[in-house]
Amino acid sequence: MNRLHVEGLFAGYGAVTVLRDVAIEVRQGELVALLGMNGNGKSTLLNSILGFVRPGAGRVILEWDGETIELAGRAPHEIVGLGIGYVPEGRRLAPNLTVEENLLLAGSSNRAKAGRKANLELCYETFSILKERRRQPASTLSGGQQQMLAIARALMTAPKLIVVDEPSVGLAPIMVEQVIATIRRLQEQTGLTILMAEQSFFQAIEVASRAYILSHGRIIRVFDQKLDPAGQEEIRSAMMGAV
Amino acid sequence: MIVLDLALNAVATGIVLGSIYALLALGLAITFGILHIPNVAHPAIVIAGAYAVVVLNRFGLDPILAGLLWSIPFYFIGLAFYEFYARSFESRGGGNTLQSLTLFFGISLVIEIALVVAYGTDLRSVRVGYVGESLRLGTVAIPYRFLVPALITPVVVFLLWLYLSKTNTGLAIRAVAHDERAVSVAGVNPTAIKRHAFGIATALAVIAGAALVITGPVDPFAGRIHIGRVFAIVVLAGMGTIPGTLAAAIIIGVAESLVMSFASPSWAPGVAFAILLATLALRPTGLFGGVR
Repeated sequence: MNRLHVEGLFAGYGAVTVLRDVAIEVRQGELVALLGMNGNGKSTLLNSILGFVRPGAGRVILEWDGETIELAGRAPHEIVGLGIGYVPEGRRLAPNLTVEENLLLAGSSNRAKAGRKANLELCYETFSILKERRRQPASTLSGGQQQMLAIARALMTAPKLIVVDEPSVGLAPIMVEQVIATIRRLQEQTGLTILMAEQSFFQAIEVASRAYILSHGRIIRVFDQKLDPAGQEEIRSAMMGAV
Repeated sequence: MIVLDLALNAVATGIVLGSIYALLALGLAITFGILHIPNVAHPAIVIAGAYAVVVLNRFGLDPILAGLLWSIPFYFIGLAFYEFYARSFESRGGGNTLQSLTLFFGISLVIEIALVVAYGTDLRSVRVGYVGESLRLGTVAIPYRFLVPALITPVVVFLLWLYLSKTNTGLAIRAVAHDERAVSVAGVNPTAIKRHAFGIATALAVIAGAALVITGPVDPFAGRIHIGRVFAIVVLAGMGTIPGTLAAAIIIGVAESLVMSFASPSWAPGVAFAILLATLALRPTGLFGGVR
């Protein structure tokens, strides 16, 4: 089975341990939500998967097409090069590069080069606004458009799965809906595998096939199926109660 | 009319001088403007390049050709430099500006002393056929020993601009200037990109050295008078803009030349700093600095 899984992960910054014994799994074709209020370790977990934070202990393993690859200890660009697309918190675009230059740069790695043209077409089809603005510097885009660009950039890296860190942060409510709807549409249309951290609970749970709740650096609940309203309410109170 | 002639000559000289300054500053536009490394050793590397050019010129090689040949080994020296710098500073949590400034001052001194030990403190120059002759346009006269090196700059600026705006590596170099993580997320190794950029900057230093030694003889300490000026040019241009570097250098060259002609040559070295201070006060992003 193709999947990304994290086992027994401890990670933090300097002397501060944020994550304690975290285990999650993302299987091919799923959209897994990682829920939790601010400051409970969502970004730390995603940054550990991507190599921006070095785990103190534990394993991050990509099992895909019969290969088993340990990601912990690798540099971020290597991990992206192995097929983990990343939409980081704060988007981290190159503000001085145009929309198209941002996309082309992401398509320039060994892994992505071959499909660069086709992927660019796909991005422009999915996000028509980016095509319209392709000659503008990324810094001139609105927050929502920048988020679209960050997602499109992840698609340019020819990912096996993409990791999305709080796509709703800093966006107007209407944009939050739009961005999350786009992520869902991508997942449905392309069968892309997605791990998404979010704190805007209802939007995330609407689209997720499974969810983990992270509280004080531990996974406190796992919801293994699509949820009915009663189940959604249960998650919400688990998340809030855990604050 | 004499005043007009004087002014015309001063402006023409200034443009030519500015173009040569730009060549000296281009490497720094990459190391300081793009990589944010305060490489005060850059002018010393330029002088080392000038000496390297002198060596090949003794065998009859044209100095510009010699500069081009040397740019390849200098590129690799630059890679090694960056590796040393990154290991001693950046990897240990953020390049502390003051510490790296000290490092590059040290490197600068080591280069100067090495040149003194190897070649002594005498002036060294190159032989080219056109030294001593001038291009005359009406009342304006420009010596070829300034004109020829000045004409290298637009070519180098154009090629560098093309490289930075049209190639994948160029995109990555421009991106790394603003956000290293933006490069990582794109699946490109930011450390390799910075090392490569430092290599290019060092290769540019030897081209600048070739230009400088055509304009006149150099001694091991000849880089020192340029340190302040090249930093002023990079800041005036706006950190990291390549065509801006040429424009800013010409502004400073013309201003210096006018001050030299109409005030006093003693004030000339202060001009770059006056312009630098005015820029920092009025437009801290520089004349052509876009997104910060």
